[in-house]
Amino acid sequence: METLSNIVTYSLVHATLRMSTPVVLATLAAVISRQGGITNIGIEGIMLFGAYFGFVSAWVSGNWLWGVAASVVAGVVVSAAIGIVHLKHNTHIFVIGFAMNMLALGGTRFLLQQMFNVSGALLVDKPVTLPILRLSLAERNPVTASLFSGYSLFELLAPLLVLGVWYVLYRTAAGLRLRSVGLHEPAARSAGIDVYRVKMRAILLSGVFAGIAGAHLSMGYSSMFVENMTNGRGFMALAAANFGGGNPIYAFLGCLVFGLSDSIAIRLQSTGIPAQFVLMVPYLVTVAVLTSAMIGHSRRSDAARIARKLTEEIQGKEIRGKANEKGKGS
Amino acid sequence: MSRKFLCLTAMLLVAGLVCAGGSWAAEAKKPRFIVTLPGMLGDKSYNDSCKVGIDRAVAEFGVEVKILQAASPADFESNNLSAAEGGYDLVIILSGQQKQAASKVIPEYPDQKFAIIDFSLPDNPKNVYSTLFAANEGSFLAGAAAAMFTTQTQIDGVNAEKIIGWISGIETPLINDFYGGFKQGAAYIDPEVKILQAFAGSFTDPLKGKELALSQYEQGADIVMNVASATGIGILDAAAEQKKFAIGVDLDQDNLKPGYVLTSMLKNVDMAAYLFIKSVVEGTYQGGGRLYLDVAKGGVGLTDFAVFKEFWKDKFPQNIVDRCQELAKEITEGKIKVDEFPGVR
Repeated sequence: METLSNIVTYSLVHATLRMSTPVVLATLAAVISRQGGITNIGIEGIMLFGAYFGFVSAWVSGNWLWGVAASVVAGVVVSAAIGIVHLKHNTHIFVIGFAMNMLALGGTRFLLQQMFNVSGALLVDKPVTLPILRLSLAERNPVTASLFSGYSLFELLAPLLVLGVWYVLYRTAAGLRLRSVGLHEPAARSAGIDVYRVKMRAILLSGVFAGIAGAHLSMGYSSMFVENMTNGRGFMALAAANFGGGNPIYAFLGCLVFGLSDSIAIRLQSTGIPAQFVLMVPYLVTVAVLTSAMIGHSRRSDAARIARKLTEEIQGKEIRGKANEKGKGS
Repeated sequence: MSRKFLCLTAMLLVAGLVCAGGSWAAEAKKPRFIVTLPGMLGDKSYNDSCKVGIDRAVAEFGVEVKILQAASPADFESNNLSAAEGGYDLVIILSGQQKQAASKVIPEYPDQKFAIIDFSLPDNPKNVYSTLFAANEGSFLAGAAAAMFTTQTQIDGVNAEKIIGWISGIETPLINDFYGGFKQGAAYIDPEVKILQAFAGSFTDPLKGKELALSQYEQGADIVMNVASATGIGILDAAAEQKKFAIGVDLDQDNLKPGYVLTSMLKNVDMAAYLFIKSVVEGTYQGGGRLYLDVAKGGVGLTDFAVFKEFWKDKFPQNIVDRCQELAKEITEGKIKVDEFPGVR
């Protein structure tokens, strides 16, 4: 019982937010591209580029804003490349996404060696980090200090960004267009939507968020750049976006579940439970939650899917043929 | 005319061959070495420590050394295979993580000289020179230092609770040997000290290391021992961020976060790499031999605490340094026997 109270304490709140924020930001990138019907597996690589250029620019300029700006620019440039290759030249997203991930891994390693003559990690004496919000009133007590103070900028902004993305997706015309493209491309095309432009915009916006996620990783969550510091977080974001069915709010909750189970798992280690088992816990929980969510989801959407399939079978070829002609015109 | 020309050409050719042969012979004299690492350089710890020894040997003997890094354990076997194939004067294999790959490759190259660091092979093959470190003895000192430090409440950030932390990457016999020594050392100073133990599941994930360290600080630890190669960079980062404390490992890490790294447990992998290269250069290589580097031989130990002392000045508890030196002496003299993890050596 004593060990349980050692594990489940107020400090879990902060730890959960801290651990999930990098994934939450990447999840927004994944949600936006998923709503456009693209499984953007290049997010991992975009994050890594964002982390590198953000950290370096902030350090060189001495201002974190330049760092975030550089991360966003890096994110947009890389995702523009992905977008052009995928959308314009019809390369499968997995091919170009995977290529970008490998380029990011090797490219940042190469840049580290060329620019700073180091390998592995870039540690500097006075790293420039994102601002940390401290409330002097809360700092007087360790409990309130842990709960309300000491959050990094994006740990506070992330939930707001989630709401913002939700609003854009579900309450604006642009969001409606994006979702309709993701749901049924030929139908969207026949309704007069410029599919290429909508998808490209989604990929670029996804790059912005992935870049920010990278900036948070190297300047907020830590204060260094390390090779492969994303360590699969981009893929976790894809899973979270899927878990939420493309809804940023559900995806955010999914990230929190993962963050919470991971922070509990970390604390479980000190109780003497074998580390190998404990390290498995977050993934087990994620798989369990994901499965239950999938079962619920498939029950709900069965009817809709059958209806859609039927329409597709009846009208599919005809619509697609027309749409292709139209698509080439744009 | 044409005969003269032919003669001249032939002479030139012979002269050219002799020159080429001469320079080729000089090239061949320079011994060539290859080192396979269990990870990437830049961890400011284990792998970099090996590089320090290599650099020293290169500077001193003018030898040629190639380093093969491993991005993941999948590279171990292919790295060792290509190292063994390359016709080098000596292949140095670092870390027990590579034991499996090494025991596959080594028997297939009975004429190739090998040197292995941090593990040994059964029956000591005649073409293998191995080094083992008394990681338990070095860790004993680190554990003792941590146990003494956790009650120094005059230093900001140290709480009254007797809790210390210990974080590593992946559980292996060698890592258990580290932990056993640490635990024994802490208990030797104060049996009431509680140790929080954690594994990141990887030696190359600093962010996980940071998260583990933060969680241990939240659970009341004020000093955390790092036994985690590149993952440990995150531990030191967490210490500096939370204004808490850490103990470095392998290389002298005191300067990475001055004032927050109490000391580092040195495990002089550089010494082993240097000695191996030296043994081949000087012809003292002992196939089938074992080198055991402990506190007495200077293979393991603590730093001099100077960086930490400089930062905290008057608040610095000098008795920790004195006591650690006494303990090191007692280990050397055999008065203290540090248990080793069964089967590690």
